[in-house]
Amino acid sequence: MEDSIRKSIRVRKAADSLPIVVWLLAGVTIWELTSWLLVSAHVPLAQSRLPYLHRVLEAFIDYWPSLWREGRTTFANAGIGFALGGLAGAALALFMSMSRWMEQLAFPYAIASQMIPILGLAPILYGIVRDEAAARMLIAGYITFFPVALNMLRGLRSISPSALALMHAYGAGSVACYWKLRIPAALPGLFTGLKIAAPLAVTGAILVELMGAQHGVGVIMLRNLYYGPSHVYLFWSTVVLGAMLGILAYGIISAAERLLTPWQPEFRIKGGGT
Amino acid sequence: MAVVSTIPDSVIQSEIELTNVSMRYQASSEDLALQEVGLQIQKGEFVSLLGPSGCGKTTLLRLMADLIQPTSGTITVAGGTAREARLARKYGIVFQHPTLYDWRKVRHNVMLPLELAGMPKPLRKSRADELLELVGLSKFTDHYPWQLSGGMQQRVAIARALSMEPEILLMDEPFSALDEFARERLNEELLSIWSKVGSTVVFVTHSIPEAVFLSDRVFVLSPHPGRLSAVVDITLPRPRTADVRGSEMYFRLIAQIRDSFEGR
Repeated sequence: MEDSIRKSIRVRKAADSLPIVVWLLAGVTIWELTSWLLVSAHVPLAQSRLPYLHRVLEAFIDYWPSLWREGRTTFANAGIGFALGGLAGAALALFMSMSRWMEQLAFPYAIASQMIPILGLAPILYGIVRDEAAARMLIAGYITFFPVALNMLRGLRSISPSALALMHAYGAGSVACYWKLRIPAALPGLFTGLKIAAPLAVTGAILVELMGAQHGVGVIMLRNLYYGPSHVYLFWSTVVLGAMLGILAYGIISAAERLLTPWQPEFRIKGGGT
Repeated sequence: MAVVSTIPDSVIQSEIELTNVSMRYQASSEDLALQEVGLQIQKGEFVSLLGPSGCGKTTLLRLMADLIQPTSGTITVAGGTAREARLARKYGIVFQHPTLYDWRKVRHNVMLPLELAGMPKPLRKSRADELLELVGLSKFTDHYPWQLSGGMQQRVAIARALSMEPEILLMDEPFSALDEFARERLNEELLSIWSKVGSTVVFVTHSIPEAVFLSDRVFVLSPHPGRLSAVVDITLPRPRTADVRGSEMYFRLIAQIRDSFEGR
């Protein structure tokens, strides 16, 4: 019975993806047409304004080895920073959930930290640590920790009174309450935070690279911007690469979420009892 | 007219005993949730706390469960305090909502109290499977709670409450969210389960027929302030099956309890 349900879901998913394909094709066509119009109308720097998509794709394929190398560096550093920031955020949420007092102490700092523009913080941090990999990780972690802490805290606090009363009635201590109730209940919130943070962590790492690093997507992005119109396709390729890394980061977290929290309403497959 | 219980309290050691228990939720509030309630429940007895909303019946149950503490008065459970009984894991508890944990499959929900008590894993699993068989859910051990109907979820909650072989089973309007058919069926199932496990059951309800069908004695409460207004012995023979609902005595008892509300 569940097999047939799965099959019908697959069929529905295929039908669902049809509009996406149509939109994508329409988007590409409009892009190419507009680009062609700009060139035909002899608009100055037409290709810098909107390059042909197929030329961008060409550049992307031609320079794939170096794009891959730099992309890997950025992604690896962003990933480490993201993991550390996520851990720090989750830990902060746990502390804040334990007492109002700790929340009142920590929360203003957490908010204040978000007021500092990353654009200004990145060179300051880079100046202090003098190591591009460390600076990338720090910024990625810095961006990650806030949405994670906030969403996880909400999850930790959203326990129903009867779920807690149940723990209490069975003589559970506060450690057991966290392991068996609060933390599992907070996982959906944690993943919401992580999904918000994942693409931002990549963007943050790229931002650090613009401040004078030697490696990374940001570096080739900046170089090709400086070289001007002759490198316009490669420049656009780096932007596309940056976006792809962000999407990849989001995709990885989404997959992990589906794997680790299959009970969430949006993943549910109905069936079984009536 | 109230019928006073015929069981003399000097003969048997009470399982649960409340003496002059009053409860006020806010110190400033004039309204007492409970006023000087005194009652005794015997070991192995099935009693109901019956009354309209606001009569303090849920408060009374939560006091017995040591989920809240009384403003004044004493509560004795199994010869000790309610807190001692709770920490000795003598309670099984079922709420109005199943309160199953979404991230645990049915079997693991039933295993939760056993985990908390530190029972070894293989034992927990076989115990949970036995209980799920008792409530008729053997086929659904590996389902998630949200894949089951409301009635089935509540049966899982009952299996979970029974997992520690509790001396005392506390049930707070467990079937009030179900339709009448599911409710009657589960009433019958509950009695058959109870006859096997022999726990003392305290059952909160606002349904007179439900209280009469299930109980040995019904404690009738009245609101503002919440107090005990009558205790009615239910002399219907056991085991009780669905036919009891057609018997004359059943209707007479229901009428008698209804009168005790109107007569005050």
